[in-house]
Amino acid sequence: MTAPLLELHHVGFRYGDRTILADASFALQPGTATALIGPNGIGKTTLLRLASGVLQPACGSIMFAGQSLSQLTAKQAARHIAIVPQHLDVPFDYTVQEVVEQGRTPFLSLLGGLTTADRREVDRALDLTNTTQLRRRIVNELSGGERQRVKIALGLAQQPRLLLLDEPTQNLDIGRQIELLDLLLHLRETGLTVLASIHDLHLIDGNFSAIILLRPSASPLFGPPSRILEQSLLEAAFDCASSNHPFFAQLRASQPINVSEPISQEKPS
Amino acid sequence: MHAITDASEQRNTRLFAHTPAILLLLLAAALLGAMLLSLSVGAVHVRTSELLRAAFTHHHLTATEQLILLQIRLPRILSSAIVGASLSVSGLLFQGLFRNPMADPYVIGASGGSVLGACIGIFLFNQASFFGLSITALLAFAGSVLTMVLVYSLARSKGRTNVVTLLLAGFAISTILTNFTYFFEVLDSASGSGTRILLSWLRGVISTPHWSELAVTAAALLLGSIAAFPLTRRLNTLALGDEYAHQLGLNVERTRIGIILIGSLLTAVAVALGGLISFAGLIIPHIGRIFLGPDNTRLLPVSALAGAIFLVLADTLARTILAPTELPVGILMALVGGPFFLYLLRRPRRDALL
Repeated sequence: MTAPLLELHHVGFRYGDRTILADASFALQPGTATALIGPNGIGKTTLLRLASGVLQPACGSIMFAGQSLSQLTAKQAARHIAIVPQHLDVPFDYTVQEVVEQGRTPFLSLLGGLTTADRREVDRALDLTNTTQLRRRIVNELSGGERQRVKIALGLAQQPRLLLLDEPTQNLDIGRQIELLDLLLHLRETGLTVLASIHDLHLIDGNFSAIILLRPSASPLFGPPSRILEQSLLEAAFDCASSNHPFFAQLRASQPINVSEPISQEKPS
Repeated sequence: MHAITDASEQRNTRLFAHTPAILLLLLAAALLGAMLLSLSVGAVHVRTSELLRAAFTHHHLTATEQLILLQIRLPRILSSAIVGASLSVSGLLFQGLFRNPMADPYVIGASGGSVLGACIGIFLFNQASFFGLSITALLAFAGSVLTMVLVYSLARSKGRTNVVTLLLAGFAISTILTNFTYFFEVLDSASGSGTRILLSWLRGVISTPHWSELAVTAAALLLGSIAAFPLTRRLNTLALGDEYAHQLGLNVERTRIGIILIGSLLTAVAVALGGLISFAGLIIPHIGRIFLGPDNTRLLPVSALAGAIFLVLADTLARTILAPTELPVGILMALVGGPFFLYLLRRPRRDALL
């Protein structure tokens, strides 16, 4: 097995005296896609921001490619890790091109502007996300799906090894959701490691190779979908005991009871 | 089919988006033209053709004409150009800082803070000179910085600027500071010292400075604009919001401090020469965005030149429209700028910031 790209060891975080995250441990292998799930307000965004290096953990350690993430400057971290936040509010009429160019910020010198190499990366990011034809459009005039792809292009312009996405499928219609998941799949094939918080559990199967489940009053669980997408675990985490929701019926019907599957990636106790 | 829709949806008002150099040349020429025009009109009218002949041939103007043009009119024109450029550039910087097109040194109270600071210098330290490294000049700068920090911290919560709070806080602080200045003005009139400088500051009258004063303010404008240049790219990044800017490796705090310091320096320059002049810093960057798009790096030199032209013309109008009486250009700007401000407040917006 190759060395993991991102490793969390017993990471905890609190805002004031409110604990958001406790004892989170997992390791993301390069080129994999992991879904981050859990009830509202449990700290999915916080976990993504910790993984990006924007927030520092209160306890525990985060390693990126074998190096402690807290040792990297914000600029250095931004050259390896990109985060795609939920919202992009831009004042003034910036075009798609102008916004995606901002992804080159961590590579620019104090006084320098974009070089030819920077422009090539911007073009590549636009091309990968199929937004080249939108480059002259005003970002604030785009539809939700287009805007989502532009945000990903902005992240890809950072040439990251790890792409973190905060609810990328939220507010998208089913067609745009599929489009987005296909894009993530394609990016994964280029070697990118993906960690995305996902609200809609239907979307996980087949698109993500691992799941992190954040639970109230219990440490997060990490494992393959077949392990985590289990009725009792989900009911406890999302506080919906003995639900008749079709999702659970479907889960019961399709659940491959694969007891022999090795749980190699379970969190260290 | 699709290609047609896409093309029609593209912006076509950005005439100079790819040729900013041409726009700069045009504006530089227009500034010279505006100055020449302003030089020729007034109580003593000198035809522009005669001005040009005097400048480029051995043709001589009368001694009176020379005195009026070189000692009175030219310093005043240069003064209004410096005021216009300073107001526009500081308006541009503050709009980037607050991520909002409504910010302007007058609207957010920076000008008011600067005037009050200068007042304190004049009355408590009895130092009427505004120029050079005098206490008055430093206090004018400090007044603007302190006001900005106060308004900024009032208007920000959870990493976002609330526009309503920004405008109300700016308005309230501006009113308080201006009325403090009126208080000093009353003391000034009562003492009969007759400086009358405060009243012209409060009304926004462009002064006719000495050449040394022009040199100092022009140098401050130039230095401030040059120092602002590397920050303009960071303002584009900051437009994405604090969270984005931070994760892109931008030092958000340092950028903000730089913008507040430079914006305050330029505000102090404008106040030193012209007092309280409203809305110029609002109108010019807005018009620049129509022709160039919102890229702050391109907008900076264009705003400086366009602001200079705008105020040279406005001051020419102000001093001739009611001749022989002069209208303070601050009053003219309020009459023009006020409605424009209301238009910005009510215009349809695509983004959800207002």
